[in-house]
Order: sequence, then structure tokens, then C-alpha cells
Amino acid sequence: MATDTESGYAEGFGQVSRTVGTVFRYLLLAATMFGIVTLAVLLVYVANDAIQPLTADAGWHLTFFLTLVVPTTLVGGYLYRRNTDALKLGSTVVGMLAVAVLFSGGVAIVFVDIIPPLTGFSYAVGLVIPAALTVILTKYERQISFTPRVAATGAAFFLSLFGVPGYLHSIPELVQKAPVVPSDWVILALVLGGVAALVVGQYIARIREDATAGLIAGVAALVVTGLAALLGPLLGYDSNSFVVVTAVAVVPTATYAGGAALTRKRERIGLLLAGTVIVGSLVGAAAVDLLGFAGPQSWVNWQFLTNPHSSSAERAGLYPAIGGSILLMVTVAALSFPTGVGAAVYLEEYAPDNRFTRFIDVNISNLAGVPSVVYGLLGLGVFVTYLGQATGTVIIGGATLALLILPIVIISSREAIRAVPQDMRQASYGMGATRWQTVKNVVLPEAFPGILTGTILALGRAIGETAPLIMIGAPNVLFSLPTELTSKVSAMPLQVYAWSTLFASEDFYTKAVPAGVVVLLVVLLAMNSIAIVLRNKFESES
Amino acid sequence: MTRNTDGVLSRRKFLIASGAAGLTGLAGCTENNSDSSGGDQSGGDGTSTSETEQSGGDGSQSLSGTVDIAGSSTVFPLATAMAENFRVEHSEVNINIQSTGSGGGFANYFCPGETDFNNASRHIKGEEADQCSSNDVTPVELKVATDALTVIVNNDNDFLGEGLTVEQLKTIFSAETQPTTWSDVNAEWPDEEIEIYGPADASGTYDYFIEAIIGEDGPGHRQDYSATEQDRTIIQGVQGSEFAIGYMGFAYYSENPDAVQAVAIDDGDGDGYVEPSLDTALSGDYTPLSRPLFTYPAQESLTEEHVAEFARYWLKKSTSKKIVADQVGYVPLGEEEQQEMLDKLNAAIDEA
Amino acid sequence: MSTDDLETDLTRNTENTPRELLTRSFFFLCAALSVVTTISIVGLLVVEASKFFTITAPLMDVKGETASLVDFLTGTTWQINNQEFGVLALVSSTLMVTIGSAVIALPLGVATAIYLSEYASAQARSVLKPALEILAGVPTVVYGFFALIYITPALGVVFPGIGTFNMLSASIVVGIMIIPMVASISEDAMSAVPDELRQAGYGMGATKFDVSTGIVVPAALSGIFSSFILALSRAIGETMAVTVAAGAQAKFLNPINPASYLEGALPMTAAMVQLLNSDITGGGLAYRSLFAIGLVLFVITLIMNVISDYVARRYREVY
Repeated sequence: MATDTESGYAEGFGQVSRTVGTVFRYLLLAATMFGIVTLAVLLVYVANDAIQPLTADAGWHLTFFLTLVVPTTLVGGYLYRRNTDALKLGSTVVGMLAVAVLFSGGVAIVFVDIIPPLTGFSYAVGLVIPAALTVILTKYERQISFTPRVAATGAAFFLSLFGVPGYLHSIPELVQKAPVVPSDWVILALVLGGVAALVVGQYIARIREDATAGLIAGVAALVVTGLAALLGPLLGYDSNSFVVVTAVAVVPTATYAGGAALTRKRERIGLLLAGTVIVGSLVGAAAVDLLGFAGPQSWVNWQFLTNPHSSSAERAGLYPAIGGSILLMVTVAALSFPTGVGAAVYLEEYAPDNRFTRFIDVNISNLAGVPSVVYGLLGLGVFVTYLGQATGTVIIGGATLALLILPIVIISSREAIRAVPQDMRQASYGMGATRWQTVKNVVLPEAFPGILTGTILALGRAIGETAPLIMIGAPNVLFSLPTELTSKVSAMPLQVYAWSTLFASEDFYTKAVPAGVVVLLVVLLAMNSIAIVLRNKFESES
Repeated sequence: MTRNTDGVLSRRKFLIASGAAGLTGLAGCTENNSDSSGGDQSGGDGTSTSETEQSGGDGSQSLSGTVDIAGSSTVFPLATAMAENFRVEHSEVNINIQSTGSGGGFANYFCPGETDFNNASRHIKGEEADQCSSNDVTPVELKVATDALTVIVNNDNDFLGEGLTVEQLKTIFSAETQPTTWSDVNAEWPDEEIEIYGPADASGTYDYFIEAIIGEDGPGHRQDYSATEQDRTIIQGVQGSEFAIGYMGFAYYSENPDAVQAVAIDDGDGDGYVEPSLDTALSGDYTPLSRPLFTYPAQESLTEEHVAEFARYWLKKSTSKKIVADQVGYVPLGEEEQQEMLDKLNAAIDEA
Repeated sequence: MSTDDLETDLTRNTENTPRELLTRSFFFLCAALSVVTTISIVGLLVVEASKFFTITAPLMDVKGETASLVDFLTGTTWQINNQEFGVLALVSSTLMVTIGSAVIALPLGVATAIYLSEYASAQARSVLKPALEILAGVPTVVYGFFALIYITPALGVVFPGIGTFNMLSASIVVGIMIIPMVASISEDAMSAVPDELRQAGYGMGATKFDVSTGIVVPAALSGIFSSFILALSRAIGETMAVTVAAGAQAKFLNPINPASYLEGALPMTAAMVQLLNSDITGGGLAYRSLFAIGLVLFVITLIMNVISDYVARRYREVY
């Protein structure tokens, strides 16, 4: 801000009272900090209730202090003074690992517990085959015009996924009925490892500008994932979850770190920080195990994350609610992302400047201000009463929440699309591109990071919502994961609400509810930080 | 342009490479997955409710399916406890429980055929039964426990003597009389202001108190009392003031029997003042402040094995002091009553 | 895309090819969905709420009990068991939460905006803005829990007579929740004030304090005002925090009297959740009152949004 320099001149005149200005400045700072500090204090309280760090042995704290806190502080302090960019890289890798492990937990719930691996695999095969056909069709047969191509693609997908009832089995059916099928971990390693390999390979090929290097990296990623499955049981872990964590968290993080080490020579020393944190935690964990120090009596523990509700606060868990939140989030994203971006594209790129467009415009900003409980009534009245759907299902909850965040997605996508420079569009039109081609090849790729940021923030809002779920009749207690779009669903905030009202006892207030709040907040903070990091990266690039 | 072809090239190479790797993986690790064949068949048939991992099921008839329950928030904790215990034995049965209120449960969930059970803290009403039968839902009334309301006063209160009569209770709490001092109720009692604590008007306990003491068509509950949503607060309030009175669920009183004293109630039927306790509630002496709690399975749902089994389980455990009294705080059924309900349920199952 | 595509494209009218038509209609449908949503909300609320009132029920062919529209809008007692539906009892407590949160959020939000736009260094901004966003990102049910478990006992030290459920703690958390909204919209308005105005101020010998309060804030006033209204509309519609912390007993309280903030009451949104969640006789009149409250809530927030929009457009200083 140019004004910053001006105060320097003002000093030259002397005699201007600076007390008022200084007091004012600090008042402003205090006001700014008020909300943040209050929230921070509350967070400390709830984390203390949930994790109970003081119940751990002093030796436990000391061990981790020595193996983790001290080395990290030293390395971090050194980097902070010498090379802040490297510090940034190091903390990014640590943060990425943490978020990716969290994410892999969600993936594991979806691909192991909600969708049995074989079913998922059969549908993956059913989707890959027609997709491959389509790719071949578009690559080699340019002469076919648009309409028959759409028809052929549609037919290929339909035949593959649904078959012809009575005559032709669909591919998923064929795979599921195959006499010989791969076991679960092989499927997971193939599908998740394959996706990871593809991403890793692309990334390495891009930064090394060498297709062969990418190919090698991709194969290596797949092999590592496969090895993890064999290694898991040796270490006493389930090989399915080991595969998921490796493919979703370890491999991508390692690739990012490796890529940074190769390309960013000045900053790669920052990886030392990541190494210190990881090695420090592992050594610390091994040491307390060896020395027999007891950790804190945390209510957020493995049992809490994997158990269903119980009427005793000690045994109550969040598992069905976590699974429900994930399924809801997937449904909400699948429904609101295409429609939200579509609406934004229409309003920014296509819409004529007439009354109807302006009406839509005003309408969307008003919809963004409609209270969530009214959206709940909408879900209850329209989906349940008028369309006769069952109450409290994944699809109803997802659709209601999708409508709720749609205005937010539209508004943030419009901002991102508007930020695409007009020159780029003109250049595309100048090359003879049609409007759709311009949108597809220029506008959307340019605006994508912004759109993604907005959508993640909106999804964060959606999974924190409780009132609409209550309105559509989601059950207060449920004991198993929803496995289909028509299963009843609970969600993390709803479970926390049920515990704090229907089971309003001291026990729940001091154990299960704080633990639920902490898990919910960790998930939301992870999502918000992804969005913020994405946006910062995007803003600094453009 | 060059970058683009590179990308395509590498992508194609990847497809081939990962395909090859996959094939080797398959060749190396494929196994004839015999135990999943059962799961496969059910998956192919599309009977998705029973599609579960059968790996642990060793032939014994393991139940699976979904039970949807809605209704009274009073019965909700009991249903939750029962479901939790039931799932120890039948972990493949999904049980969803929702607290909607007795009436809301009937009108919006049970009678439209959405839920299998509806919990209620009262009998089903005529219009609700009509709504159900017009949707071909037949409710089967099962009594599962008894709830007792307890009127409490301060431990230092000695002027009440033996207890209160229903008439006196009505005088204290009715909107018509609204006495401000104890001496307004009974001239022998001290001329001190009555402090009244009670549950908020949204709670089932409040409704039930009106029904049992004041009468539903009567003048209604007085509104100048300290209404609270938490029984803890009622106990604290009464504990803190010598001339206070309040009422609450028996369960919460039984957890804090030393903090306050329970008032014996005389309903004028000749057996004098009756103290609230598990025994008097069970024997039916503690009237009118004890009430039955029900669950209504739909006869149509009982055709499903897992629903019928859950209903049987609930009744079998309805005499369990551990679950019903200790865990939830209601009065369990007596053996006789339990048998009567079991017979009724079995008849309904046979009929369905 | 290769050049072949472009060549063929150049030789034909591209606006109406199947592909262009298909994509354009898809995008149009997406945009039109928002209109459908609005129509559904308005239609549903009006139709269902009109089944509730005696005056409109015959139009909807509803038999059974109904409530008087006049009593609904002017009554101050909300007792469903006694068939008393005076929405003012609910509106008064919603108003209290709104006033209470406004007292906290409006000054703090504007101060935050001034600090961020005029005083904070780029580095401080890069830390403070995400932190404020997190403030807005915490789920409201969590705020409610904070109010009930941590804030109310803390307030009990200062005000011994405070209820377990009270409007004060609910107002505080709602206030904290809407600070970021006030701050970010106000800050946008302040950043839009052209630097020349500030320079002119400094040129006249004004201090930074004078410039901030005498030039920037007045110039951004329309934006600040519209942020107030939007934030208050959010406070009115806030549901879970008040459901958990404000109470469950409908009461008509005097919003101007500070003592009433120590009591619990039932705001509109909480009443709606309660109607679906407790032992109140379902179906029937009580169930339909849900939509009547919903309509009142929707109309209030809609009016506020429209006013905010109007203020922002009409009184915006254009430079």
C-alpha cells in the first residue's frame, strides 16, 4: 500500500499527536485478534478435554520433546534464518503428508468398507473399457462427426455398465461372476496404485521433460504399492489399509518431495525438516513403546474412530458418522460441482445481457443468504413429501446440501472465470475456436484452481451443516456405514449434536462430544488449509 | 505441440506399462477366491441389503438387513440401548434410530410405511391408527417399560409430612390456581413462596405431567416456573432452596437419591401415600405418575426375519434390570407382562 | 487440439452445431436450476404455510385444525400444547440473538476491516485473513457446543443467575461467527476506495487515524452498511448454535432489557428443529406451523438481502 510510505513524511512536520493514532492502531489490532483468540482458547479447551495430554507419563512427553520437538525446532529455526523458501517447502511436505494420510483414511473407508473391492473393481473395469474405446475412437477417427460420436460413446458406456438385460451381461456382472478373481489387496493395489502411478508418472515426466523417466517413476510407484501389500502383514497391519495409505498418502508425498529435491536445488534443504519430523515421530513412538511410557488417555483414539455409537460415552464412536460424512461429501460434490460450474460458465460466457440474466444474478445472491434450515424444509417438503423419497438417505441429504452450497459454488466459480484475462479468450476466438472450444480449452483450465478452491470451501460448509440433515429426518443413531445412495445416513456434526442433546450427560459432555468436535474440526481445518494453500499458490502464479 | 505429443506418448506408454504390470500381478497373485463366491451371487442378484462380506459367516444363520425406528424421545435411549446390545450378536443388522416424538413418528414415518418400529410414550391415537390402516400398516402395540415421574422437594422440607395428594399437586401446578405461597395450598404450611422447577414445555415429561395431574382439557400448566431442559438443573434448583418443588423422570432422581427427597403421592384410591420406586411403579401402585412406554412394530415388517428377531430380543430383555433400569433408568417389565407381550408378538409374527 | 479441427471449424457456422447447442443448453439448465430452487422454496413455503392459517386453509382444501393469522403474527405466547402459536415469542428471541451478536460483530468486524485494509502489513494480512476464514469455517453446531460447555460456565462466574441455556452465550458465539463476514465485505469496500483520496488526506497533513476514520470509512460506508445487513441476516438464520445453546422454552423477552439475555428462550430456527425432534404431537397443526415459521424466516432474510443489495448498489460511491 502506497500509504505506508507517507507516514514518513508526516513525521517531518512534528507536533502531530501520535498517541491517538497509536492507541487506535492497537485497538484495531485487539479487535482483529478478539475472535481469533477466543476461538483459539476454545479450541485449546476442547482439545484438552478430548485428548487429555496431561494424563500421559512425564517420560512420554520428555521422549517426544527430545526426539521430535527439539530437532524440529532446531532445523526449523535454522531454515527460518537462512532460507525461508526451504522452510516453506519443508512444511508443505509435512502438511501434505498429514493431509494425505487423513485423506487416505477416507479413501480406505470408501473403497474397503463402503464399496467392497471386488464390486469397485468390476465397475472400474466396466468404466475403463468403454473409456479406452472412446479415446481410441477420438484419436484415430477424426472424420466422424459429433452426433454419432456422442451416440457411440454413450452406447459403449451403457452396454458396458448395464449390458442388455437377458441377452448380454454387463462387464461389472461378468467380472463379479468370474470364477477366478483377484483378492482384495491385489484389486486395491491395481486400481489405487494404477491411479497413483499415472499421476506420479505424469508429474515426473513433466518436471523431467522426459517420458521414459515418467514411465520408470510410474512403474516404481505401482511396485511400491504392491510391495506395501506384502509388507503390511509382516508389520502386523492389514494389507488392504496398508495399500491404501501407501498409494494415496506415501507415494504422492514422496514423489512431490523427490521432485522438489530434483528441481528446486536452492530449496531442497527444506526436506530436512520433513525428514526430521517423520524420523522424530517414528523414533519417539518406538522409544516410548520400548521404555513403556503410557501416552495420553485420549478420547480420540482408534476405537473412537472405528466404533459405532454406544450409550456409554467411553465406548461411543464416530465411525458410521465419518463414513456418512464422506459419502455425503462425494454426493454433494458430484451434484454441485458440474451444475455450479455450468451455471457460472453460462452466466459469464454465454448469457445475453437481458432481464432474465439479471434476474438469475440477483436470485443467486439471494439464495446464498437463505438460512440452511430453510433448505432443510425444502428437502423435506420437495424430496420427501412431494417426490415421496425415503427420509434421511444419502441421496436426499446430498441433494439438499448440494442445493445449499450451489450459490456459493456458482459465485466463487464466476469470480474465477471472470479473472481469466479477456485477451486469452480473444486469442482463442481469433484462432477460430468455437465458444465451447474456448470454454473447454482456455477458460476452464485457467479458472480451474480458483473454481476448485471455492468448491472445497463450499464442501467444507456442507459437511459442517447439521440443520438440513435434521430437517430431512436423518437418524440420530445408526450403527453401520451407509453402503448405498438409498441407505440412511448420519454425519459427524449430526452425531455431535445428538450426543450433546439426546445424551446430555456429564460423561458425553466431557468425553464423546469433545472427541467428535476435534475430529470434525481436524477434517474441516484440513479442507480449509488445502483450499487456502491452493489459492495462495494460484494467486502468486497469476 | 511437442509437449502435447509427449504427454500422449507417455500416457499410452503408461497404459501399456501399467497394464503389463497389472497382468503380472494378476498372474502372480490370483487366487480362486472361494469364500467370496457367496457374496458374488447375492451381488449379482442385486439383493443389496444382504450383500455383505460373508467371510466370517460360517453357515450359522446370520441375520442381515435394516431396521428403521422412529418415535418418542422418551423411548429413544431404551431403543438405542437395545439396538446396541442386539448388534453384539447380530452385527450385520443395521439399526437406524431417530427421535421424532411419538406423534411425529406415527404421522410422518411409521404410518407412511417408512419405519419398522415406532416408539411411543402413549397409546396410539384413533386418527393415527386410521392413517396407518389406510396405508396398510398394522401397528402391534408392545409395552416395553414403565416410566415414573418423581416429584421432588428439598431435603430440609419437613412440613409436607407424608406426602402430597394429586389434588394438591394439581393446585400447585395448574395455571388456574397459581398459588404463590405454600400456605395458599394448605393453611398449615408455611407462608413462604413456592419455587417451582420443571422441564420445558417441549419435553415428554411435561406433557405427561399435564396429562396425569392437571388433565389435558384442564386449565393447563402454569408458566411462571423455572423451566429447564436439563434434569440436572432441576435437581440443583430444588437442592438450593428449602421451599422449592419440582418434578422429573424417575431415572434422574434414582441417580441422585441423596440430593433431594422424593414426595409420596396419594391418588385417593385407598392405598394412601405411595413412594416412587421401581417396585411401586412395577406393581402399579404408584399412580398416576407412572406410565407405560410402548414400541409399535408394523406387522408387515415382522415378516422379515431380522425385524422379528429384534422385536423378540427387545421383549426378552425388557425384564433386564441391567439394561432397562441401570443403563436407561426406566422400570423393567414383570415376567408375566413380558410373557403376555411375547405371546402378542408371536401371534402377530405368525399372522404376518 | 490439432489444426485439422480448426480448419473444418472455420468453414461452417459454429453457433448452432449440435455440440454448441448441447453444451449451451446444458449450461443454461444449470443456471436455470437456481431459479427452480427459488420457485420451489417460495412455492413450498407458501403452500404449506397457507394450510396452517384459518384464513387460507379452505383454499388449500385442508380439513382439521387451523390457527388464526392475526394471532400468529401478534401473539406473544408459543405453546404448542395449548394451541397457542404466537410467533412474536420466537421472533423476540431471534431479535435478541441478532442484537447481541451485532453488538459484538459490527464494531469488531469494522475494526478488523480497517486494520486489514489500512494498517496491516502484507505479511500480517497473509496470516490474519486465513485465520478469520477458519473462524467462519467452524461448524455452527461446534460453536453451540462451545457456548454451552465453556462459555456459559465462564459467564456464570460473572453473572451467578445465568441459566444453563441463555441468550448471552448464544449471542456471543453467533457474533464471533459473523465477524469474518462483516470484516471481509467491509474490507473489500475499503480496498475499493481509491488511493488518491488517501493521498489527498495525507497531503492536507492528516494522520493515518484521520485518514482511516475521516476518509476511508465514510467513502466505504455503503459497503460497510451492506455487510452489516448481510451479517445480521446470517445471524437471524443461524440454527445449530442457538438450538444447542439458547434454550428450548419459548418465551417472550424484552430484547432491550439486558437482564433478559441471562435467560434462555427459543429463537425461530431452534423452534423449527425442536418441532421435528421432540415429543410434540406430530402431523397436524404443530407440523404445519413449521412451514409458517419457515416462511416468516425466509421473508425476513430475503428482505434483508434485498436491502443490502440495494444499499450496496444505490449508495455506492463510484470513482
